[in-house]
Amino acid sequence: MPQVLVVARNFMDMVAALPASKLDMLYDSAFICEAVLRSLPPLAKKYALQMLYVLAPVAAAAMEEWVLDEYASKHRVAIDKLLQLRVFVEVRDRRKEVSYKMNQKFQGNMQKYLVDGGSLPREPIPLSVTGRLPASADLEAYALDQWECFLLQLINSSQVEKGTSFSSSMMKTFQRGLLSSRDGEAPKLTENGFQFLLMETNAQLWYIMREYISSAEERGVDPTELISFLLELSFHKLGAAYSLNTLTDVERIAIRDLAELGLVKLQQGRKDSWFIPTQLATNLSASLSDSSSSKEGFVVLETNFRMYAYSTSKLHCEILRLFSRVEYQLPNLIVGAITKESIYGAFENGITAEQIISFLRQNAHPRVVDKIPVVPENVTDQIRLWETDRNRVEMIPSHLYEDFPSKEWFEQCCDHARDHGYLLWEDSKRMRLIVRGEFHPEMREFLRRQR
Amino acid sequence: MSSAHSKLYSDDVSLVVIVVDTNPFFWAAAALPFADFFANLVHFVNSLLLLNHLNRVVVIAAGVSSCSYIFDSSDASAAGGVGVTATFDKASRKVEEFIAQDARATAGNGSVVSGNAASLLSGALSLALCYIQRIFRSGTRHPQPRILCLQGSPDGPEQYVAVMNSIFSAQRSMVPIDSCIVGTQDSAFLQQASYITGGVYLKPQELNGLFQYLAVVFATDLHSRTFLRLPKTLGVDFRASCFCHKKTIDMGYVCSVCLSIFCKNQKKCSTCGSEFSRVMPDLNSMPDQSK
Repeated sequence: MPQVLVVARNFMDMVAALPASKLDMLYDSAFICEAVLRSLPPLAKKYALQMLYVLAPVAAAAMEEWVLDEYASKHRVAIDKLLQLRVFVEVRDRRKEVSYKMNQKFQGNMQKYLVDGGSLPREPIPLSVTGRLPASADLEAYALDQWECFLLQLINSSQVEKGTSFSSSMMKTFQRGLLSSRDGEAPKLTENGFQFLLMETNAQLWYIMREYISSAEERGVDPTELISFLLELSFHKLGAAYSLNTLTDVERIAIRDLAELGLVKLQQGRKDSWFIPTQLATNLSASLSDSSSSKEGFVVLETNFRMYAYSTSKLHCEILRLFSRVEYQLPNLIVGAITKESIYGAFENGITAEQIISFLRQNAHPRVVDKIPVVPENVTDQIRLWETDRNRVEMIPSHLYEDFPSKEWFEQCCDHARDHGYLLWEDSKRMRLIVRGEFHPEMREFLRRQR
Repeated sequence: MSSAHSKLYSDDVSLVVIVVDTNPFFWAAAALPFADFFANLVHFVNSLLLLNHLNRVVVIAAGVSSCSYIFDSSDASAAGGVGVTATFDKASRKVEEFIAQDARATAGNGSVVSGNAASLLSGALSLALCYIQRIFRSGTRHPQPRILCLQGSPDGPEQYVAVMNSIFSAQRSMVPIDSCIVGTQDSAFLQQASYITGGVYLKPQELNGLFQYLAVVFATDLHSRTFLRLPKTLGVDFRASCFCHKKTIDMGYVCSVCLSIFCKNQKKCSTCGSEFSRVMPDLNSMPDQSK
């Protein structure tokens, strides 16, 4: 059964899909160049650095020499990525030989970065204006709170006391693909929705951001502007205040939405108002590459399948409920067990064993993180066994043919189906055969020709 | 170490400790002025920090009689706000201070024969390894560490034991030592260090393009190194220094108990105290005693 996974990390694909002129416009900003560079696979980053001071085009054949022969595929992936994002530009000379050159704007910006070092996109407001700013711990708590609140609303709009102020149409765009709602029924999480919940915060964030940007056009906002603003936002300093007056109109609307998601905290002073980027925002460009955040986990799983989750969050409880039986809940502790029924329930919803295991691993309590393996082996094995148990029977749509007039004819049909690799079963005594469903039209044609 | 390595980032996040030779005796006569060299270095540090926001870079200066940390990117980002240029200004001021201090220490020491003084490579390597161990022991996940030595001055045979110990400890903690020679002669110590720890040893032909060498070869993270064609060492000088006179020797005596190396026949090992009861035949007739 092919699994449709929610792909969250392809934000850069979205950037790559922009028309060339818009992409070049984006590269006017050094921050975007920086973010794009950091999102590249390691080998591509390395190539970009290598080409930074090379002005003349370098032949593609010469570049292939950089990498060992057995890893040529890695080289192609890296070059493709660089070309897609227009970091490298293809140049063909008179003899039709391909060579690559670095995008001039990109090159210029990066060279400047190396000389001057990174700078801030805009100056923070001095403390004398803003007064006391929230401490980083408070800010982090605020961000996570806001984000969880949003997620809860996303999956279960009835359970939230203080909802976010997203318009219902906006919420609908986010829910598109995650929830399926039939008329007259309560909306139900889809397979993708369950997988979404088990993802890391950063991956979830990008998924939402992607939806947000792709719906921008419906709202009459240029997606390019949003992308550039989001990438720029991640280079602001965590916990510093920035004046709202420095933003354009589009950005000002966007920042209110982002505040709802917990990416920034808005504050109102006597004269000005300002925004304070939280960790979620500053991690935005970081999480584009694979190095994930180091969030503290909360789940302890024992070898007897009992699970203790040290969490006060409702969302965590909801997520655990997806694949375990929650037995009781104390103020700061959720006690549950992994049972066959609960795991089967998860499989029904389209969650895979690997997703459950990786979730348990990623969210392991710091006390058990140092153990090897983090999740007891017998539990992971059992979860996998339960999954394979379900897949013992494979279903293939097929057709049964019987009542052949002669043995010869039957044999011919069998051979024909076997030659094409569609024969599933034959019973020569009673002259019956079963053929894969997709082969049926051709089989019928074959029978007609025989007649 | 196995538990520590399971906490490594799987990606290209790196911790690069750069050991910079600040030996005034070398730089006074070098083809590349120190200021240009330092500008190249700043470029290189910047480019490492550009590649991944989790990358960390530490610069250690190795002088003639002392060494010290001069730059740590995690301090720089913690201080924040002040801007990167300011941080690098601070780093270059720190280098100047360090060089002045080191010169005073050398003058006070008096033991150094001017014109042919080695830098304190052993001390700098130890500092680098200590820093890496500290990172290994803190936090939940840490970057993949490597050391880069930018050396110009000749090896100091008297540091042989200390340098070899650092090399083996780097090998044990799986920290590759890269070496880039900015001087005129090859360094036997660093050839061995890179060979044993699986790092890259390179002596650039054209020092004016130092940054390009650094960016192409030494900016490569450990993850990408498995795919790329990197310069290979042509030959490694495996010669050892004797423990008794600290001279580099081609052939010598080795203690059968602790493997200490001596250039002359001894009655008793000065390191472990074992007595050599049997009188050794003359060295010249026993060529297989060489190490």
